[in-house]
Amino acid sequence: MSVGGFGKQELAAFDRAFFDPRQRFTRIGDGELGGKARGLLFAADLLARESQLLVDPNVVVDVPASTVITTDLFDRFMQANGLYDVALSDSADDRIAHAFQKGDLPVELVGDLRALVEQVTTPLAVRSSSLLEDALFRPFAGVYQTKMIPNNQSDAGDRFTKLVEALKFVYASMFARGAKNYLQASGKTPRDEKMAVVIQEVIGTRHDSRFYPDVSGVAKSFNFYPTGNARPEEGVVHLALGLGKTIVDGGVSWTHSPAHPRAPAPFASVRDMLDHSQLEFWVVHMGKPAAFDPIAETEYLAKHDLGAAEYDGTLRYTCSTYDAAADRIVPGTGTRGARILNFAPMLDLEEIALNPVIRALLDLFARELASPVEIEFAVALGPGPRARLGFLQVRPMVVSEDVVQLDESELQQPGLLLFSDNVMGNGSSDSIQDIVFVKPKTFDKGRTRQIAGEVDQFNRTLLDAGTPYLLLGFGRWGSADPFLGIPVEWGQICGASAIVESTLPEMNVDPSQGSHFFHNMSSFRVSYFAMHHAQRDIDWEWLERQEQVGETEHVRHVRAPKPLRLKVDGRSRRGAIWYAPANS
Amino acid sequence: MALTPHNAFEMAQARFDHVAKLLQLDAATCELLRQPLREYSFAIPVHMDDGHSRVFRGFRVQHNDARGPSKGGIRFHPLETLDTVRALAMWMTWKCAVVDIPLGGAKGGVICDPHQLSLREQEQICRGWVRQVARNVGPTADIPAPDVMTSAQHMLWMLDEFEVIHGSRAPGFITGKPVGMGGSMGRVEATGFGVVFTLREALKERGIRAADTTASVQGFGNVAQHAIRLYHQIGGRTLCVSAWDQTDQTAYAFRKRDGIDLDQLLSITDRFGGIDKGKARDLGYDVLPGDAWIEQDVDILLPAALENQINEETMERIGAGVKIIAEGANGPTTPVADETIARRGIFVIPDFLANAGGVTASYFEQVQSNSNYYWTRDDVLGRLDIKMTAAYVAVSELAQKRKLSMRDAAYVIAVDRVARACKDRGWV
Repeated sequence: MSVGGFGKQELAAFDRAFFDPRQRFTRIGDGELGGKARGLLFAADLLARESQLLVDPNVVVDVPASTVITTDLFDRFMQANGLYDVALSDSADDRIAHAFQKGDLPVELVGDLRALVEQVTTPLAVRSSSLLEDALFRPFAGVYQTKMIPNNQSDAGDRFTKLVEALKFVYASMFARGAKNYLQASGKTPRDEKMAVVIQEVIGTRHDSRFYPDVSGVAKSFNFYPTGNARPEEGVVHLALGLGKTIVDGGVSWTHSPAHPRAPAPFASVRDMLDHSQLEFWVVHMGKPAAFDPIAETEYLAKHDLGAAEYDGTLRYTCSTYDAAADRIVPGTGTRGARILNFAPMLDLEEIALNPVIRALLDLFARELASPVEIEFAVALGPGPRARLGFLQVRPMVVSEDVVQLDESELQQPGLLLFSDNVMGNGSSDSIQDIVFVKPKTFDKGRTRQIAGEVDQFNRTLLDAGTPYLLLGFGRWGSADPFLGIPVEWGQICGASAIVESTLPEMNVDPSQGSHFFHNMSSFRVSYFAMHHAQRDIDWEWLERQEQVGETEHVRHVRAPKPLRLKVDGRSRRGAIWYAPANS
Repeated sequence: MALTPHNAFEMAQARFDHVAKLLQLDAATCELLRQPLREYSFAIPVHMDDGHSRVFRGFRVQHNDARGPSKGGIRFHPLETLDTVRALAMWMTWKCAVVDIPLGGAKGGVICDPHQLSLREQEQICRGWVRQVARNVGPTADIPAPDVMTSAQHMLWMLDEFEVIHGSRAPGFITGKPVGMGGSMGRVEATGFGVVFTLREALKERGIRAADTTASVQGFGNVAQHAIRLYHQIGGRTLCVSAWDQTDQTAYAFRKRDGIDLDQLLSITDRFGGIDKGKARDLGYDVLPGDAWIEQDVDILLPAALENQINEETMERIGAGVKIIAEGANGPTTPVADETIARRGIFVIPDFLANAGGVTASYFEQVQSNSNYYWTRDDVLGRLDIKMTAAYVAVSELAQKRKLSMRDAAYVIAVDRVARACKDRGWV
């Protein structure tokens, strides 16, 4: 079975009933569905056929009610409003987004949108589903935007306006600078790409002005970073309270092996665990938005601390409590103390059988796609120990099976630029000669946004020239928090063939975790090296001596006289990069 | 409704009597609805450009305003009669009611031939018309709009006069204004798009994919052009259009068996909707006599030009494969032809339902003008689709439930709504 086999012919036309129990997945238009929608259609079909595998009376699994706006309507929107000129120009992203906001939607679409909002008053997610999105080797994960809207205004006209703004915002995201870079890195042009859009109910529950799922998660059937007794092929699950943005953006979430849900977390102490568990969560903000900004993804999103969740009663099944007197962690919220979002009532006590259902889903989809998979989901709990798991996405994962040997003797050879025992990827190459690195001497963690912009410039130049490069920087690449790393979008570094992220004494953080980022890295077969400054370091002196091609305040581009040699052993997760010694 | 040169008002009353019987309306209600509530007939003296004065005859007929302020166009026509205006005013009442907008029906006119008048003279007529009825019309009483041989410019002159008389700005007094001067986005497209919204629903009901259908269209003016555009966007193909040729004073049908290219045809069309024959031939179109549009082997006929085009003479020539007639024009089908069409099992979307997109958009314009806040085109057309679809579904459901023709069902809904409003107000 393949996702690609699913198309518009399997999908009923939207009959102006979004929550019609007979047709919870429909389409508007006669064009293509795009990758994400095809994946969801595949998932809905599979879940319907194999529902017996997921039987748990208390956990219902389904694809949330969805309507896909097919690509022909995108084409018509672009052509009727003459948007390709501005879209393909070098205009700033916000200028392009504004131009899209001024465009008129195709008339055959607006009546359906109006009908949709007239009957739905709960939050909606407007999600990109481009032709290239979620394809096996070019996943476009997180490249285009999703916009969540509260859709709770009392006037249907207001709801309609916000839905239309969100749709145009998602259309415009196809032409953002990062997306264009990404296409280029994929050997594609914007003309190869078309955008379908999925309008989907948001899984969750309203608590005052907050609407959010009790749990959101990303599960992978292959784990690039197994800890303890876990094996890579046993997979990994990341769980978070609130919207999944926390996880896909690489925020703090709870990670466990689905095969060992009760295994102790790899923290040195309770203090360590408290420091590294989720403290804030994302919600759809149901109140008055902070500011009118239709071209911001987060216009209707808000972040809250756990006090709000405590007030909402959503910690009951998701957290444990630190009992300071006994110096122990007790599942649930029955006692006073600091809350730790470790999902112990579900994972340890199995009060809700979430983990078995996730395992069954991973097995089912991996088997059907004949590939390791990554799935995204959101869970609304209640009433009581019941749950509804909304299945949001499935993507195949790229896991190389080449055998690469990295002997200890090789590490003693001259010309070792760097070595890491925390590497993602597999294989060897000798095609990289260009190196872009964040200069350690001028690095300032208060200026990581500026550094991201400088890296983007070099990436664009090298992309245009078709030159692969090695990228070195500090903290997490793609961090949503600019104080934990360099907050690039994937499209800003997508030309890199190998990426190194190192810690510094002043930037001593865990490696990158964002699921979209990692999916892109694995799918683009980018080797990723995590380094710790206190262990082996990078040969900065050699880098300083190389021919300088370009330089900005914080970033330098150099070119080695001969190609670098790169080797990654995916089984041992060790990898190294060598330069050719001067006398070779 | 078919309008003949004889007495359109008698025809309108006959149609009403038929529906009143279906609804079993009481005598008082019938009497009230058979006649206009108010009629204004007045003189409009104008100083002509050549120095002499002429007196024009103007009318305003408010047929019924039980459901809301009256709404209807102003016609400039040399053959205008009060009975024609009465008939059209009554027709507006039903039209507003069938799409369930809170307006009554009215119509106005001036006996004049704008082709023989300078713009200044036309302006004087417009201002004179308003001066005569300024106290009997207005945003909360009666809202005029453009109609035969009147345009957005005429509406602006009338608005200006009305505002001068009342000493305040009142953009909601009149509709059909240009965008940016109190007009509404989507107003121009509304009638043609509205026809296709109802056609789309009819196809859906029959389980026919628009992409599997073909159509032939009479007329190539504003309504036809926009209807064709949307019909093509939902997947249909138009094989033939007929258009009036101003030079030859006759119509021609332009046919392409694999489907016309709308934009290509528009590029060789003049501002009156006339298509250049020679260029059309060069582009591979068959140029046929004007009435050939009706005999094409298509699924859908879309009369969008004149009244009485499907009549005793032409009805036998309707193509064998025709399944649906969507009446974009006013009164394109005569009552006799209606019966034949029904016998052949052809489904008709009646004119005052199919082409109600225009008045619905006018209503939206009035709402926007009254609040002095203007919607986006997406907003206007989204609301229009919902209104038209809801109206179609209501008519279709009633037709099926009571085994009525679509035309009778539409009239039953409309007349019933107006009759109920009159009763609720305690008038009868």
